Amino acid sequence: MIDQSTVLLFITVALASAVEATEALTIILASGITRGWRSTFEGALLALACLAVIVGVAGTALIYYVPLYALRIVVGTLLLIFGLQWLTKAILRQTGFKAPHDERDIYNKEVATLSTGKKGILHGQRDSLAFAISFKGVLLEGMEVVMIVIGFGLANGSQNQLRTAALAALVAVAVMTAIGAVVAKPLTKVPENYMKLGVGNLLTVFGLFWMGEGVGVQWPLGDVFLLILLAIIFLATLGLIAYFKRVHENQTEVEP
Amino acid sequence: MPSGKTPNAVWKGVKRFFTFWKDFLVGDSPVLALGVIVILCVAYLLRGSTVLAPVSTIILVLVLITFTVWQKTKVRSRHATIDTDKGDKTSA
Repeated sequence: MIDQSTVLLFITVALASAVEATEALTIILASGITRGWRSTFEGALLALACLAVIVGVAGTALIYYVPLYALRIVVGTLLLIFGLQWLTKAILRQTGFKAPHDERDIYNKEVATLSTGKKGILHGQRDSLAFAISFKGVLLEGMEVVMIVIGFGLANGSQNQLRTAALAALVAVAVMTAIGAVVAKPLTKVPENYMKLGVGNLLTVFGLFWMGEGVGVQWPLGDVFLLILLAIIFLATLGLIAYFKRVHENQTEVEP
Repeated sequence: MPSGKTPNAVWKGVKRFFTFWKDFLVGDSPVLALGVIVILCVAYLLRGSTVLAPVSTIILVLVLITFTVWQKTKVRSRHATIDTDKGDKTSA
């Protein structure tokens, strides 16, 4: 039977992966359209292979060799840091203190940068700049997904959970890639800013829960408390957005 | 001939490795990372209490979110809305 924490885990990893895949896709599209597809694909595929090896090797090794409480402390701490970073930035974007993430704008900047660069030819056919940009973009965007997949996969110390987390990431990346291949332009209609808000909430909740379990905190009601924590953090986020939105509006009214 | 280039390259590699992880985990919000360490310590110290530990860690998380957002709004209101993630290497 699938329990609610597995469903939440799947949703969190899939959402986080979808956001990162959207960002990586923008870089791949900019590189492919301006510099050519062959080297861009090669760079992206090599980066994906590196990420898969990191998940497979590090994830499996950590499950077998590190005690569960230590894994939960490290994983919980990392997820809580990531979650709070995502959450605070999402709140700043929702309130107007930070401009929303705009894939079209990022795409245009990437295209401008790549268009001015000279073609770097390697072994006759390859464009080294396209390869490097694509490899670096996918690897950096994917690194956070890897941390989340390993983190969620390890928190219960089971191979099954690692597989579920990896599957969620794969499904999300496959869906975003398929959409990107069909529309062949940056995915500006993906509600990235709302997704980041949701992922920030979920990562914060899971991070706090596992970090607490790792150091020996007894959460009331066990795993059910995840939902209560989610409700508390979500309501607080809504309250903060409402308050700081008003602060921002007052400041823009005062400033000419 | 071996020269001082190899240790130099190793040192640079190590430095880059730590800089990458520092940027990745701390980014432009050192308060968040520090706050999480504080929450971890408080959770550990209060782990024996079934009421105090959950309540205090939740309150600390809420305080940390509020303080970080408030701190950023102070900086951003002095420089108008910031429209880029310049200097921030976290992917959030």
